[in-house]
Amino acid sequence: MTAIKTEVAGPKAGPPPGVTRRPVKDLRASQKRAGWVMLAPALIHAAVFLLLPMVMLVALSFTDYQFLGAYHWVGVDNFLQLMSDDRWRTALLNTVLYTLVTVPVAMAIALLIALGLNSGIRARGAMRVLYYMPQVTATVAVATVWLWIYQPDVGLANSVLGLFGLPPQGWLTNPNLSLPSLMLVGVWQGLGAKMVVYLAALQSVSRDQLEAAQLDGANRWQSFWNVTWPALGPAHFFVFVTSTIASFQVFDLVFVMTKGGPGSSSTVMTYEIYEEAFQGLKLGYAAAQSVVLVVLIGVFTLVGLRLQKVSSDA
Amino acid sequence: MPRPHAAPGRRGRGVYVLTAVMALGAVAMVAPFVWMLLTSLKSPSELTEFSWLPEQLRFQNYTEALTAAPFARYFLNTALLTIGQTALTLAFATSAGYALACTPIRGRKTLNAFVVILIMVPFYAILIPEFLVVKSIPFFGGNGVTGQGGTGWLNSWWGLIIPHAIAPIYIFLARQFFVSLPEELAEAARVDGLSEYGIFVRIMLPLIKPAVITIAVFQIGAAWNSFLWPLLITRDDSLRPIQVGLAIFSQDPLNVQWAYLMAGATLAVLPMIALFIAAQRYFIEGMASAGLKG
Repeated sequence: MTAIKTEVAGPKAGPPPGVTRRPVKDLRASQKRAGWVMLAPALIHAAVFLLLPMVMLVALSFTDYQFLGAYHWVGVDNFLQLMSDDRWRTALLNTVLYTLVTVPVAMAIALLIALGLNSGIRARGAMRVLYYMPQVTATVAVATVWLWIYQPDVGLANSVLGLFGLPPQGWLTNPNLSLPSLMLVGVWQGLGAKMVVYLAALQSVSRDQLEAAQLDGANRWQSFWNVTWPALGPAHFFVFVTSTIASFQVFDLVFVMTKGGPGSSSTVMTYEIYEEAFQGLKLGYAAAQSVVLVVLIGVFTLVGLRLQKVSSDA
Repeated sequence: MPRPHAAPGRRGRGVYVLTAVMALGAVAMVAPFVWMLLTSLKSPSELTEFSWLPEQLRFQNYTEALTAAPFARYFLNTALLTIGQTALTLAFATSAGYALACTPIRGRKTLNAFVVILIMVPFYAILIPEFLVVKSIPFFGGNGVTGQGGTGWLNSWWGLIIPHAIAPIYIFLARQFFVSLPEELAEAARVDGLSEYGIFVRIMLPLIKPAVITIAVFQIGAAWNSFLWPLLITRDDSLRPIQVGLAIFSQDPLNVQWAYLMAGATLAVLPMIALFIAAQRYFIEGMASAGLKG
């Protein structure tokens, strides 16, 4: 196997002749020291760029900080103001709606694809690559492609509708359609990762149990519900939590394709935070919005945990 | 609807129908990329009204796109950003994972729980304070010792690369793999007099090579595709990565030159597609093992 060099690294003298081990106490101390040295850069990095910002976020949300000039402690004013902010309310509703639609729909489609790929069809390796491809490509780049596809006069989407004799749509210009158009892209791009997790889970379903179910006369549907479905619990949970967290943070699509418009029809929480903070320079206010975003993500994650518990207890 | 678990003995027409349905779905999934490629090869006159295929392949769109916007510079910037973040992550996330898994430091369990909690921190929510932290790095960009008075790491390679490298998820992934290695290996090396760092670099790290590659491909993907952070902290083209360049180029929908935009988009996605095809095992197994172990 690996060749192990026997020289002692560093300036310390080698062990006295005949003794191959340093004293146990010294050894543990040096192991500990090395552990901290190896951990330190990552810990400092996390403290500065994750932990400190978390603390600052909460503090900022109680101020009227505006980037320049003095700022004041304003208590819960920002949060009170949020409640009567129509644009923010629309953004919040749109984000929740986007999550409630894209997450379950994409989970269902991804599971169907995984079942299809897991059922002994031809060319599954190649197909798996194709289904996963949107996942590895940058959201900004694919958003520009969809911007072109959704163009009203020369876009692919309306031409495809035309093939079926359907009238052209204002995909991104009709306020009733702009958010669903973004959802379609979100579902499309997120299928790959979910499918892969489901595929791995399906491959771990016990063959013996499936065969036993078939011997007992269960049809495919019954053996799916009674054997496969219960085994998918952890995969559902993982997919639900990761994709909920991701869809609450949808931004790139909105930025490139609609800028939240027309009006506020397709705006989302992250886009409003970006606008308030970096266009309007209302950093305190935007920090309060960010706190709401964190809380909502936390609530949805807990709901996921709960559902997982309920289904595994049942 | 695809049937779950086709019975082994019952292959036949069902398999072909299912294969056809799945293939149709797969084609639909990549259709936008095909459309992107076709558009990038059409002449301007073909883009004023709808057409399916280009009359002739106009490859000069690519060279013209490179002069319409500094895509070559953007591309280089993205490459540098990606290399920088990946190097940092590979050096420090794996060593932190090793420390958490294999060294007897005090509070290891607490630290590990801490890392898991940090994985959950939503990046978009801490955007504002993170921006302020980066602006207030002392002694950079005209800042004094208190971190005030200048621009800190804003509009610099430091700010572009460092804050989003070494994400906790990579520390966690590395730790999961190190935990599964037998302790005797390190012991044997220790008896032979190898230093603790030597054990990590020469013995343990090579043993988790698949995990290291998985971490690398995920970090490369995250860096190559990153958008909002570079958008916020870069002010000029000498630092802007390609995703930011593309987004800016696309933001004038009335005058946008679609052929050039699609040529730029092709350049922006091609390296990741190539990496994915070359290393798909690591993308897919990494995703799957994160899902099942996590």
